[in-house]
Amino acid sequence: MKISIGDVVLPGDYCEEISQVAEKSKVIIGPGLRKEVDRVYITKPGVLKKRNPSTFWVDSYQKRYVPSRGENVIGVVVQKAGDIFRVEVGGSITAALSYLSFEGATKKNRPEVQVGDVVYAKMLVASKDMEPELVCVDSHGKKGRLGVLSDGFVFKCSLNLIRKILNPNCPLLESLKNEWPFEVAAGMNGRIWIKANSMRETIAVGNAILGAEYLNDEEIRSMCNNIAAILAGHVS
Amino acid sequence: MASRKKPQLPKSVLDMKFMKKTKDRIEKEIENTQDIEGLYSNVITNEMRHASGNYISESSFVYCEDLLEGRLSFKGMNPEIERLMALECKKDDDDKSEMKKDVSDDILSKKMESFKKRKWSSSPSECKIKKRKNK
Repeated sequence: MKISIGDVVLPGDYCEEISQVAEKSKVIIGPGLRKEVDRVYITKPGVLKKRNPSTFWVDSYQKRYVPSRGENVIGVVVQKAGDIFRVEVGGSITAALSYLSFEGATKKNRPEVQVGDVVYAKMLVASKDMEPELVCVDSHGKKGRLGVLSDGFVFKCSLNLIRKILNPNCPLLESLKNEWPFEVAAGMNGRIWIKANSMRETIAVGNAILGAEYLNDEEIRSMCNNIAAILAGHVS
Repeated sequence: MASRKKPQLPKSVLDMKFMKKTKDRIEKEIENTQDIEGLYSNVITNEMRHASGNYISESSFVYCEDLLEGRLSFKGMNPEIERLMALECKKDDDDKSEMKKDVSDDILSKKMESFKKRKWSSSPSECKIKKRKNK
């Protein structure tokens, strides 16, 4: 059976369309695909997707995070060791976050990070042969959106749910953003941090996110309206 | 010559003892021509022979999908994050809006039409050549 873009694919299938495109121009093979001798094979079950021009990947269900460079992740500081913090991100080993990778940090001026803090950091170095390294500062030395996350509530979900809610077309955050003030940070390692003014609101946002995993856009909107109505009913 | 290939000796002739050296020579030639690929097969693998530079392997979803920045704040919960979100929104809008023009499109088209009409209204045969005073 010929594989085409948008199909549900299983490991072992190969896609000829990608090989045909690659004969003429450069092709980016994303996660879930692998190039063997002369064909491109699928290695994860999911939906084969394409982005113009010539970027292909498989959208699969996954809960285990594999550290990858350039991704923003939420980690928990587990140890202070010499010049680095050991941060647990859900990978096979803990990641290293240097003291100097914070805005305005110098050797004399150490950042205020304790064991047990939640940090939102970017993966600087990540390969399967080395321990991953994180930074809380961008290439200009600015903090941006990275750094320590204080208060709030962290929970885990699957990686594809994170990608679903961070999609610009997803109606979840659009529906919730006008209801009550809250702040959310989503790490690509399957962890979400939420902070709102009361416990009810925090849990409401958390339930909305977890419930949106298997719903389509219309159902997400109606679910958010239900949750907002229930909460408004409770408060008033 | 009728055929291009050298006439190959039959096997029974090669098996004879006085033809041993010739047999070894022929076998060596065959090995050289046919088995070159197998020679360094552990160094130059089959994969390397078929490799093409057009495939770029990417192990992160960030470069495949167009995702929002991971940290968002709504209704004033964290003013700094909201300021950053507004800056990004403004930058996107700026990229999309068209450049301001000094002379707008329709005024320009009207002027160009009238200019062309003036230029081509007088055909070459009607052109009056001015007579010089002093000839």
